[in-house]
Amino acid sequence: MPDDLSEFARQAREFLDAHATRAEQAEFRWGQGADTVAYFSADPPDVRDVKLRAAKDWQRTRYENGFGWISGPPAYGGQGLTPVHELIYNSIESEYDVPDTGTLSVIGLGMIGPTILAHGQQAIKDSYLPALYRGDIIACQLFSEPGAGSDLAGLQTRAVPDGGEWVLDGQKVWTSIARESQLGMALCRTDVNAPKHKGITAFLVDMTAPGVDVRPLRQMTGGSDFNEVFLTGVRVPDDHRLGEVNAGWRVALTTLMNERATVGGERGGTVAEALTPERLAALMRATGTLDDGALRRDLSVLLADLLAAGHLNRRAARAMRAGVTPGPERSVAKLMHAQNLTRAAHFVSEVLGPRIIADTGEWGTYAWAELLLATPALRILGGTEEVMKNILAERVLKLPKEPGIDSTSPFRELPRAGKAT
Amino acid sequence: MNDGTEELDDLREAVRAFLAAKSPETAVRAAMETGPDPAVWDQLARQLQLPALALPADYGGDGFGLTELEVVLEEMGAALLCSPFFGTVVLAAQALLAADDKAACERYLPGIAAGETIAALAVAEGSGSWDLAGIATRAERTADGWALTGKKSFVVDGSSAGLVLVVAQAAAGPALFAVRSGAPGLRAEPMTALDPTRPLAALVFDRVPAELIGAEGEGGQLLDRVLDVACVALAAEQAGGARRCLEMSAEYARTRFQFGRAIGTFQAVKHKCADMLARVELAEAAAREAARLADAGAAGFPVAAATAHICSSQAFMFAAAENIQVHGGIGFTWEHPAHLYFRRAKASQLLLGGPAVYHERLLARLGI
Repeated sequence: MPDDLSEFARQAREFLDAHATRAEQAEFRWGQGADTVAYFSADPPDVRDVKLRAAKDWQRTRYENGFGWISGPPAYGGQGLTPVHELIYNSIESEYDVPDTGTLSVIGLGMIGPTILAHGQQAIKDSYLPALYRGDIIACQLFSEPGAGSDLAGLQTRAVPDGGEWVLDGQKVWTSIARESQLGMALCRTDVNAPKHKGITAFLVDMTAPGVDVRPLRQMTGGSDFNEVFLTGVRVPDDHRLGEVNAGWRVALTTLMNERATVGGERGGTVAEALTPERLAALMRATGTLDDGALRRDLSVLLADLLAAGHLNRRAARAMRAGVTPGPERSVAKLMHAQNLTRAAHFVSEVLGPRIIADTGEWGTYAWAELLLATPALRILGGTEEVMKNILAERVLKLPKEPGIDSTSPFRELPRAGKAT
Repeated sequence: MNDGTEELDDLREAVRAFLAAKSPETAVRAAMETGPDPAVWDQLARQLQLPALALPADYGGDGFGLTELEVVLEEMGAALLCSPFFGTVVLAAQALLAADDKAACERYLPGIAAGETIAALAVAEGSGSWDLAGIATRAERTADGWALTGKKSFVVDGSSAGLVLVVAQAAAGPALFAVRSGAPGLRAEPMTALDPTRPLAALVFDRVPAELIGAEGEGGQLLDRVLDVACVALAAEQAGGARRCLEMSAEYARTRFQFGRAIGTFQAVKHKCADMLARVELAEAAAREAARLADAGAAGFPVAAATAHICSSQAFMFAAAENIQVHGGIGFTWEHPAHLYFRRAKASQLLLGGPAVYHERLLARLGI
């Protein structure tokens, strides 16, 4: 490791040793501990609140010691370093027993913070950035709508100017963390006569303002990790506008690009722990299927893909550390992640048989139903498999774009639904 | 990637340029009819010193590792190079190194490194299995040493090799033996093959004089070590071949017009290419990582090698088949190169036993 990176790593470790304890490598024993295999959080509200408070406290400790926004400007409590340093810090922190700050960091700190930094007006940057990175406030994304999923630019939430403010009306969907957030980054339609990409403006919305109504969205697994956010006559001051009027699409791209800046970022957690050769073999052993040739074959196919996907992630991370622009590794890794977890869930179903469709009370069996029900989301959320393949084919393989997609007509002329026969 | 990336890129470029000039499709097709061109092998050895690349300096090699060899093999696989490189430098030379017999290495490796010796490793028999249980060829002690009796099949470059290394059952267990082509009692029969770019032969042994390499009974461990390296080397070729199929498909999708537009504008074709890309990226990552782990002497190497062979076998077979699909009717013709890659993909997938075996091999390496 180059000198400046080793020195940074040393400082990170010094901070962590002073404020946290090393994580214990607990040896896995079949039948011991929780058997949860959950992609989405299955915590009840009181547990979630406790975890959130711990996460905010830890974020504050990091911030006060210079590790809250490693790549951010010193003026806002950052160290002015690079994403490589962030990667290194995260890698070292994973060896310690610390609260999971994902609720704050994945969207708020990882995506919206950098967007505010790039496009926010000065007073807004000064008021919100330190508070965000200190963990005092949490931010969420108000992007998708019922009528604007893959076609995000087709969004319809309106923002109409009124005095020195804008009035927002519309509905957002699939917003995670909305209930815990004080701030929301909203993309709104500000010119219906312009082509769809050219009539969008981005705003920072106070989630506690009158007219903001957050309703949990119940997902297939039974939990509610996402929300609908209804905006009715919500007043937003013009100084909360991000970027220029009608130039919001560019701002949105900043936000989405920052999602891609985190390399190899599959969540760890119970799923990653359960999908290892040791755990899967233990499952087969416990169910007496370890010698079943067909299942052994399926296991090997699954493990080869899981292991290879790991190599791909590490290769992307190494490229990033060396300052080389990563190729398509990250998009491919996301595609494979969805496919691997889906295949894993169905493989486990085969191993468990009916024990995954009804709870016999036996350890480590019906718990897998949660993963099974979560996997359909992976091929959809954060960019559908189909859209990702289009992007890979068009940008990496340079295949020509599909003709007939209208991005030049005025927004109000675009068809929004077909005629039912 | 570390500081060595630039050198690896230079190596790749040099090999690619050489193969484009000396082994274009016309040369591959010619070699399919009449065998590998000795002139190309000579130039590979003298101009580029490739046989010596990853052999130890002690034995006339340049002392590089699997990381460098992997890059070379990717390019050879992409070009469908028809040459004794894989059989000689990967299979035979690795068997010599794995046998841990210094005198034998001193006797044979320099010739291989210089490109003067073409060698082959004979393991599988009638079923094509690399499993010791399938090996019936036996080695008996004689007044002057040993004599081999039995029949080997699917021997890569078995007809053209001057030196043949044979795994046979001795009284104390399986062991490695060396035999010279032309030795009394040895008959080489070329096998008609699905993939004419990789000549395979059957070797019949009738009390053929042989020299013991390493010790009796060590054949099992030796085979495991050779297989691990062979898996990575083959995976590299397969990844290179898969990448070339992807490039062919993408190029065709961009330029072939039907219904008034490039066929690559249709999502079905687009997604097929994206699926190929995903598999190729995985295969490359797996092969390169396995090579890296080998050079680092990492404990995870055997698992990585088995993983690489599975991923690359799948990627190449998928890419080769879908490449024909993207091309439509023309992809099915003899004159189009697509079927050459299809043949190589299938033959490579099965060379070390195939899915029935390579999946169990991964599980075995994982201790499952």
